[in-house]
Amino acid sequence: MDIFLTRLISGMTAGSVYAMIALALVVVFRSSATINFAQGEFALFTTYVSWWLTQHGWNIWLTLVPALGLGFVMCAVAERFLIRPVRKRDETAVLIVALALFTGLNGLAGWIWGSDDKVYPRLVPIGDDSFLALGGARLYYDSIFVVLSLVLVVGALSLVLNKTGLGLQMRAVATNPESASLCGIKVGRIFMISWGLAGVIGSLAAAILVPVLPPGQLGLPGMFHMLIFGTVAALLGGLDSVKGAVVGGLSLGVGLAMINGYGSFFGGSISLTVALVVIVVVLGLKPNGLFGSRRLERV
Amino acid sequence: MTTVQSPTPTPTPERPARPAARSGPRVVVRGSGAHRAAQAVVLVLLAAVVIWGGSLDPFGQGQLTRAAIFALAIMGLNFTTGYVGLLSVGHSAFLGLGAYTTGILVVNYNQTAISTIPWAMLVCFLVGLLVGIPALRIRGLYLAMVTLALGVAFPEVVARLDGLTGGAEGMTIRRTLLRPPDWSGFTLGEKDAWLYWLTIVLLVVTFVVVRNVISSRYGLAMHAVRQDEVAASASGINVAAIKLVSFGVSGAITGLAGSLFAMYIGSLFAEGSFTVLAGITLLIGLVLGGERTLAGPIIGGLAVVLIPYYTSGIGQGQASAVLFAVVLIAVIFLAPEGVAGGVARLARRWVVVVDKRPESIGRGR
Amino acid sequence: MSALLEARGLSAGYGQAHVLHGVDLTIEPGQVVVVLGANGAGKTTLMRSLAGLLPYDGELRVDGETVGAVRPDQMVARGVSLVPQGRGTLTALSVTDNLRTGAVGRRDASGVQEDIDRWFTTFPRLAERRHQVAGTLSGGEQQMLAIARALMSRPRLLLCDEISLGLAPVIVQGLFETIRGINEEMGTALLLVEQNAALAMGIASYVYLLEVGRVVQSGAAESFAQSDSIRRVYLGY
Repeated sequence: MDIFLTRLISGMTAGSVYAMIALALVVVFRSSATINFAQGEFALFTTYVSWWLTQHGWNIWLTLVPALGLGFVMCAVAERFLIRPVRKRDETAVLIVALALFTGLNGLAGWIWGSDDKVYPRLVPIGDDSFLALGGARLYYDSIFVVLSLVLVVGALSLVLNKTGLGLQMRAVATNPESASLCGIKVGRIFMISWGLAGVIGSLAAAILVPVLPPGQLGLPGMFHMLIFGTVAALLGGLDSVKGAVVGGLSLGVGLAMINGYGSFFGGSISLTVALVVIVVVLGLKPNGLFGSRRLERV
Repeated sequence: MTTVQSPTPTPTPERPARPAARSGPRVVVRGSGAHRAAQAVVLVLLAAVVIWGGSLDPFGQGQLTRAAIFALAIMGLNFTTGYVGLLSVGHSAFLGLGAYTTGILVVNYNQTAISTIPWAMLVCFLVGLLVGIPALRIRGLYLAMVTLALGVAFPEVVARLDGLTGGAEGMTIRRTLLRPPDWSGFTLGEKDAWLYWLTIVLLVVTFVVVRNVISSRYGLAMHAVRQDEVAASASGINVAAIKLVSFGVSGAITGLAGSLFAMYIGSLFAEGSFTVLAGITLLIGLVLGGERTLAGPIIGGLAVVLIPYYTSGIGQGQASAVLFAVVLIAVIFLAPEGVAGGVARLARRWVVVVDKRPESIGRGR
Repeated sequence: MSALLEARGLSAGYGQAHVLHGVDLTIEPGQVVVVLGANGAGKTTLMRSLAGLLPYDGELRVDGETVGAVRPDQMVARGVSLVPQGRGTLTALSVTDNLRTGAVGRRDASGVQEDIDRWFTTFPRLAERRHQVAGTLSGGEQQMLAIARALMSRPRLLLCDEISLGLAPVIVQGLFETIRGINEEMGTALLLVEQNAALAMGIASYVYLLEVGRVVQSGAAESFAQSDSIRRVYLGY
């Protein structure tokens, strides 16, 4: 029982992170109907900036301000000047630009800060006794913090989408960019803002996940698997659905924790293979995902 | 939209492609003496480069071998991603599959290295067919995700099957097992030179085969499927068969490259050589060299091997990644048809090759 | 005194396919103009160009001022609003949100709410379904919503592309009465593209006849309706 609880907790923790990355992808997909494969590397870059500032004596919480701001600016600028000009051509061109950003940002981070792993401080410091005993399992405070952050992000995003004028415009563009433009919406501006918001969410997710998930340090290859899991989570939930991203992320996190925990006969971790199976099954059976309404493929 | 008849679509906003209005370009008729002579010059130049490569020091030759292997792998990718438009990010899996097929057959089953090539190609062809199945229903980014997952899962699967593959420890092919066959005349000490020539020969053969396929009816059907599946199937093209077979053939070509790669590198680490990052590298090479061009994969192969080597001293070894990004974006914005296509376009300002019969279906480039 | 909207030598198309070839067209404030033409004459292309959805060659002026960028939001800001063919409602949004979206360019929150109430009065069936998602409405209701949404920006010119398409005659009749009322009460100019020429001519004061991308004839509606050939081809009597 306590082993089950322990796995459930670690699954929820990882799942919350996947869900946050999935949210970033969903926000982009809702506006420009594409997957930003460079989302993880944008986040990686801003997390390096945050780490670099802590090396200069900044408080870790304080570094989030410029880091998240940079995430917004970088993604918005990338959308405006790199993605939008090639959008009309075809999706291959968009994908290639995203892959270029992917390699470029990763390389740039390595160029500036070196390829050795960095110790990134925890946002919530924990000691040996910073946990709640829960039926024999240990619920560490940082797990609570990760889940709470997800709740906060989802809450804020839902609030923006459903209660503000900007959100109304974002929902209109998500439904049909052309009709939205006929309503007088500056669609390009909404694209930029959406990408920027995704950049903020992604940067926040990265800052939270680096100390919590293995390997626990900030390294160049760190975000790639997170992006894969985030993508699978978003696809599972439905690429245009906020609710889907959350459900997809949490079920993926818990599912992987259980499979890797109990499925020891597989001999070690098979997370990525499971991700492959999930992608193929979702695409085969329910291409819209669990809660999505729009397919990735544009006819 | 470009029409199906034109294998090299040149997006010209205003006027049709033939720049007859300008005084500049010389018109050369395909198959004429001048055209033949030009072709001969190019062939001689290429032969000279190849022979020069054969006389290089072992390290330089090794780099050329590596570039040729990547050119082959990219050629395979071009076959499906370029010509049929089925985007694949995970071709690293085929590279790895070919490499491990050769590795396993040589190490565990005592086969000679060269005899494993057909098996590597066959295995990759079959897996390619399998991967092609999702492509029947989906395309674009969706397909990219399936292939991404394939590329991501491959190293993990290899690690799981450790009885066969050596798992995470990797697999080492002893040098003596890679002895050149007796009939080749190469000794064990000349293994690297043997591999160089073997790779060049296979690259040339594949090049010729791909060239002929692309200009055949089958190639025309591939173009048609890329541009408009509905119209293609309405014209009597079996779209499903085209997609499946081209994915299979694509896998087989990249698998061939993988097999050669195993012989080249001698020790296989799935986590090192065959991650999805390698798949992305192949895609970068293709786009940079030029999709749907014959020379593109060769340029791409040279680029993805030589650029990282020559820039390894700059920017803590990360300069090549940044450079690739910049070049890639420049290519997408300035020359969407890649370096090969861009050069061809520039060349058309000076020389235009036309078919003898203007009404014939265009096979030229 | 300049015209509300003036097109001079308007040419447009899709890639290599040129559809419009130098169309001249003028709409005065408050005027009701109808464009007639067979399928493929370029009517929808014309409407899409005027709404800023399609790039064009030639000149487009609103209130005598040349329109620079080809952008729908700028045309809306200048007071030109399109009801596109095939409705173009925001299907995933509620009816109320559709109307609110139509008013994104406006700053007067209370005026927006007044207008929403006003269109709910005009179209009671929309009021009943105000919380429903637009995609679940019937074709007629979606068309009402599309018109109301376009009016939410308080346009001075409403472009209507085939609003009768696929709707029952009784509903079409109602829609035309509504837009005529809007024209009379609010002075909103109308540019109608219609298959149902008889109905459109009934409320129009000026007619353009479009054939393969060119204006071949234009004139006051009365004189048009009297022309035998026009009557035979477009009015069917």
